[in-house]
Amino acid sequence: MPVLQIDNLTKRYGKIKAVDNLNLTIDPGNVYGLLGPNGSGKTTTLGIILDILRQDEGSYQWFDGQHGDHARLHIGAILETPNFYPYLNAEENLEIVRQIKGVKKQDFNELLEIVNLAHRKKSAFRTYSLGMKQRLAIAATMIGDPKVLIFDEPTNGLDPQGIAEVRNILKRIADMGNTVIMASHILDEVEKICSHVAIIKNGKLLATGPVGAILNDDVTLELNSGDKIALTHALHEMSTVSAISDKEHWVECLLDEDQMSVEELNRSLFERGIILTRLVARKRRLEEEFLAITQNA
Amino acid sequence: MIIKLLRLEYTKFKKNAVISLLVFMFLLTMPTVIFIGKEFKDVPPPLPNNEVFFTFPMVWDYQGYIGNWLVFFFLGLISVFIVVNEVGYKTFRQNIITGMTRQQYYLSKVITVVALAIAATLLYTVICLGIGMYHTEGWTMSDAFYNSWAIPRFFLMSIGYMSFGLFCGFVIRRSGVAVLLYLCYMIMLEPLIKWAVHFRVIQNNTINYYPSNCIEDLMPFPLYRFADMVPKKDLDFSFLLTYSQATIGSIVWIAIFLGVAYYSFMKRDI
Repeated sequence: MPVLQIDNLTKRYGKIKAVDNLNLTIDPGNVYGLLGPNGSGKTTTLGIILDILRQDEGSYQWFDGQHGDHARLHIGAILETPNFYPYLNAEENLEIVRQIKGVKKQDFNELLEIVNLAHRKKSAFRTYSLGMKQRLAIAATMIGDPKVLIFDEPTNGLDPQGIAEVRNILKRIADMGNTVIMASHILDEVEKICSHVAIIKNGKLLATGPVGAILNDDVTLELNSGDKIALTHALHEMSTVSAISDKEHWVECLLDEDQMSVEELNRSLFERGIILTRLVARKRRLEEEFLAITQNA
Repeated sequence: MIIKLLRLEYTKFKKNAVISLLVFMFLLTMPTVIFIGKEFKDVPPPLPNNEVFFTFPMVWDYQGYIGNWLVFFFLGLISVFIVVNEVGYKTFRQNIITGMTRQQYYLSKVITVVALAIAATLLYTVICLGIGMYHTEGWTMSDAFYNSWAIPRFFLMSIGYMSFGLFCGFVIRRSGVAVLLYLCYMIMLEPLIKWAVHFRVIQNNTINYYPSNCIEDLMPFPLYRFADMVPKKDLDFSFLLTYSQATIGSIVWIAIFLGVAYYSFMKRDI
């Protein structure tokens, strides 16, 4: 049973399609990264599935419809900014969340310890730094032990220490086996935390799947030799090599490692009389994948 | 469910400075403003003397008229603020994200307004009885409650103003504009529209059925009743609604305000 099923979702703002016929299925235990540049429709999508925005077309269903209109009681979510009552302190704000969730009275100390806010639990929310506000919001999402957690750009606007803290907390939440949906434009974040990724641009879903599948096994090679033209020519003759491009100081290509190891490639080139002066092999990163996918769209 | 929603609203606003101040001002002015009447030594005929302000059965009318202004101002503003404040803090959307349905959220505001109206009406009743008993010599129970239809009218009047407040909050949402519309409509805009429409186009008693007028006429300035009895040169209709007209008119407007607010909140992005 999927946690969330999104079918043909479309949302227009005037002539602009913020979300364009989006389909997505999220299964239990997935840590799903919603990846896309700013303005790509990530927040709009999250807004619709949280009943904040009304879609123009399409539908979505939480938990196979078993909780109906009350599905959000089983979801902990932050959308865009941490939203709390500025004149209430951390405990009072969490108490409001508790009342809405309808869970039994509890001591918030443990929760506030996790997000490192216990020492400021009696201060009014308006006196908090952005990082503290964000951490309180993360604490609030965990009240009532929700089945799904949703974070929207959780490290946006934080300083490096704040980013590190928030990422650690998110990693811990993900490792606990929760289903997490996280929107981000920061690839590194998604790569480190998520098991699955959906890439969105201009409201359209460009690619989706396990991070490992999107982040394919191909190795990027940087090669050079005394005769660059002969090298390029030789590479073009090899079926295991693709995406050959001439960089200023080397030739870059992708190698299908299942078919040929880097060592075999080197030997094969040597047999063709090409002596390499440069050989750098690196895993193709999500960042390149992301740029490749979004640029082709 | 009703108690849960009411408790939630209380948790949200018990420490809100503006709302606390408005409640405090209401509690302070409700029992005191009527005593300004002590200053009016010379009252116009047909009133015998200024003691009538404080004795049964007239105390219900005078305190009611004072309550009319105070509820309009203090409680009405509270009803706008409990919506627009949350829009400003974005807790408006966070409450929904956290798990309230839109119906529950809307209901929590309506319930709060009803609770405030009940509390204000109780206060009004206690004040009228207190002042009346103190000033009326040899009062009996039937004297005290002779004019007691004023109690449900006061309640309806409170709901009337506050449902207009919720309407402004839910439909306009932006804090400054909503407050401005609430105050200006009642004080300036409605008289202006009346003047534009009725004195130019149709001159009949439909002029009395505008929302602010219906609600006001539930608790009018008592001397207007006397004034209305005097034959008028230009008007061939009464400028006050009867209580039953005002009651029906107010109920219709309340239904419209709450209905439009609900529809707007359910349909729009938040």
